[in-house]
Amino acid sequence: MQNRLSTRRLFLQRGLALLAATPTIPAFLDQTVMAIANPLDAPRVQQPSGKDGKILVVVQLSGGNDGLNTVVPFADDTYHKVRPGIRHDPKTLHKLTDSVALHPNLRPLLDMFQDGKLAVVQGVGYPNPNRSHFRSMDIWQSAQPEREQPSSGWVGRFFDNACAGAPGATPDPHAGINIGPTLPLAMQGERVMPLSLERPEAYRYRGADRKRYEALNGIGSPADARVAHGAPRQPSTLDFLHRTAMDAQVSSDDILRVTQNYQPAGVNYPRGDIGEGLRLVAAMIRGGLSTRVYYVSLGGFDTHANERGRHDQLMGRFAEAVAAFWSDLKGQKNDERVLMMTFSEFGRRVAQNASGGTDHGTAAPMFLMGPAVKGGIVGEHPSLTDLDHGDLKYRTDFRSVYATVLQSWLDTPSKTILGQQFKLAPVLRV
Amino acid sequence: MSVIHRLLEPYQPTDQDPFDAVKAAHLLNRAGFGGTSDEVEKVRKMGPAAAVEWLLDFPDQGAEGQNPEDVPNFASIDGFPKSFREMREAMRGKSQEEQQRFRQMLMRGNREAMGETSRWWLNRMAFGPHPLQEKLTLFWHGHFTTSFREERSAWLMWRQNELLRRMAAGNFEQFVKGISRDPAMLQYLNNNQNKKGKPNENYARELMELFTLGIGRYTEDDVKEAARAFTGWASEGDEFVFRRGQHDDGVKKFFGRIGNLDGDDVIELILRHPACSPYVAGKLFRFFAYEDLEPGIDASLGQVLRDATYDLRPALKMLFRSKAFYSPKAIGAQVKSPIQLVIGTVRMLGLELPPLPLLQRGLSQMGQVPFNPPNVKGWPTGEAWINSATLFARYNTCVFLAGGNVPGAGPRQGPLSDGNPKPRLRAKFKPESAGTAEETVDYWVSRLIQRPIDAQKRKVLIDSLGEQAGDEETVRRMVQLVVSMPEYQLC
Repeated sequence: MQNRLSTRRLFLQRGLALLAATPTIPAFLDQTVMAIANPLDAPRVQQPSGKDGKILVVVQLSGGNDGLNTVVPFADDTYHKVRPGIRHDPKTLHKLTDSVALHPNLRPLLDMFQDGKLAVVQGVGYPNPNRSHFRSMDIWQSAQPEREQPSSGWVGRFFDNACAGAPGATPDPHAGINIGPTLPLAMQGERVMPLSLERPEAYRYRGADRKRYEALNGIGSPADARVAHGAPRQPSTLDFLHRTAMDAQVSSDDILRVTQNYQPAGVNYPRGDIGEGLRLVAAMIRGGLSTRVYYVSLGGFDTHANERGRHDQLMGRFAEAVAAFWSDLKGQKNDERVLMMTFSEFGRRVAQNASGGTDHGTAAPMFLMGPAVKGGIVGEHPSLTDLDHGDLKYRTDFRSVYATVLQSWLDTPSKTILGQQFKLAPVLRV
Repeated sequence: MSVIHRLLEPYQPTDQDPFDAVKAAHLLNRAGFGGTSDEVEKVRKMGPAAAVEWLLDFPDQGAEGQNPEDVPNFASIDGFPKSFREMREAMRGKSQEEQQRFRQMLMRGNREAMGETSRWWLNRMAFGPHPLQEKLTLFWHGHFTTSFREERSAWLMWRQNELLRRMAAGNFEQFVKGISRDPAMLQYLNNNQNKKGKPNENYARELMELFTLGIGRYTEDDVKEAARAFTGWASEGDEFVFRRGQHDDGVKKFFGRIGNLDGDDVIELILRHPACSPYVAGKLFRFFAYEDLEPGIDASLGQVLRDATYDLRPALKMLFRSKAFYSPKAIGAQVKSPIQLVIGTVRMLGLELPPLPLLQRGLSQMGQVPFNPPNVKGWPTGEAWINSATLFARYNTCVFLAGGNVPGAGPRQGPLSDGNPKPRLRAKFKPESAGTAEETVDYWVSRLIQRPIDAQKRKVLIDSLGEQAGDEETVRRMVQLVVSMPEYQLC
């Protein structure tokens, strides 16, 4: 932490020295540099993201995970009748109750369930479900179904509210970290720009003249008369590039340091995106970054055809990675600080299609994992016969789960972020 | 005919607002992959009207149709089975283990062929005869998305790429009918599995949501009925086949029409929907001009498309000649796509195309690998290309292309290094006549960024040359700084 702040201050002091010669200070730097230059502001920046704080890890299952083959309602005859080609044999499942059971490859989650560290929220969805991947993903990520073109995500608005510091202060560039090629809408806010990276080794500038590179990315922007006259203006794409370059530079050293050669003893992360992603998250948690929310994704769930092979494999990869992550965190003694939440943009049709797959559907279960979880089954399972256009009717609004996570875990009033007060779901002990 | 939106009226050069090198470079950036200094000068002299005619003057043919030699190297899949039937033949009499090995051999060969096809296409983008045709092909690849993932056949991906090229500025109705019969598309969106009584809705939904209308212009029932109309549209090898026995001949109700509709009927009804031409025109405008378009532009440009019975050229011509296209809102305001960034750098520095593995790795870190869009919605645009990781990848890739001596990069670490840290470059890092530090900086900024830059930044670049403005290595380092500027990320 100390290291990070001093790095940042050094960086900005250098920037400031160069600025002294600049007649026009771009609006974004005007704010950030002036704010950080005032020593009284530093603690305000640091405070909301203390490194001992609680952490949320979001796992996104992209493509529409088949909820009914993840948490299987094995005791319901309809399940077996409408899915003759893709149903699971009850003998292979891990039973949670007399009516539902986990996918055969989710064995590690059964252990967590038995330890009271897994909550399964059944039938999660939202009113007037949309069956487009993109629209439904936007809805889940923005938590603003009423907006046609949402511009911010629910985690992003949490950052804006809780991690941006006082007005005018520099937001903490570590507040959120996405592992993956593109920053999801969920993480996008108005003020805080979370980091996004795929591989830490590639996460730094490799040119020779780093000093001038920083100057070219930190100072100056096209002379803008309105800035010269001190009037506020809309940030331009160039401002956005400057800001991204600055955040990237500040964070790159830290992230390299904490992730390099991270090999926890006795923990085997599976190869592939999700295993590698969670390994990096564990490394950064261990490294003491001030990050409050990490975001990782596992894709490939759009199983329109020949679902079983692919879905079974994905479940296996997911479970292995999650198991390794929790065993790692326990070894670090950081597990108490971490809550993991999974979601997908929708579940799939109740009945299989003719291609041995399933088409886009609606409600599906969410998992919450960690020592802070109140383990068990939450909410009722949707009926397999009382359907809406062949799809499940949701029982729990996903924003209830978000609200609970925001209020009870991230200690932030949820109404500000979700626009209305949702009933909290009994998923956390805290 | 309705009134044309005032921003779509042709831009007329005047003494106050001349068609200068900045505007000529802008046209070459957007209607292609960036111009060299000579090309910018040539286009400037032509003027906007003649330049746009010239750019749009390409045959509505695939590369092979234009030149039978111009095809990817498919040696790695020579003699491979091209259909299920041939595959069954090839598998006959083999043990399970032999079959497994045979499949792996096919997969390896196919991946190699896909790489060759990427190289072939990137090469056409950089050095082909018709830059706008290739730019449009890239646009349509992001629009009528199909991905190589799931080991789709490189042969089919190439055939689809040629369809996109042939139709790039052709007739949109014929285009939609063609893509709806394209084997790679029929596989990608599962229409091969769309059968009578057992519909698969994937193609029907994306046809409306992404290809023609946009979300919210149709109901869930429309999706179901359209899916029925497309039952039996399938592929066999690299051919489209209509499987009569799998086609649903029943009565469907779609967009007010009732009858035994088939796929073509559905396409014609969709294209008659008032939302279709503004949707397509708006998407073209956003891609080529700017994203935050003024109200009415999409409707007005859409009307032009419709008045031309969906021929694309008149609308494209209007777009590239419009006041909007040459306005400050457009010029230098677009975040370059990774392909634009790499191909543009190769062109503007006068390089050869770097070896494919290096190219692929760089493009993958920046988020745009040809034939591998992230999902059916295609690639992102604008600021969505940029985050802290992709920005490093973009800078590092460009530094590398500019002959960067990448510090501390061992094998397989740098964005484009593959144990081969020096690219094979033809770039010369001295202007024809070595001048002062100021002249050297101005020369490279106008060659690469193609717009004036902030005075403070110019000074940083000049200072970097010190007294060494004539030294090639010093100039090379300065050029590496130019391509590490946020301004270079925009065009």
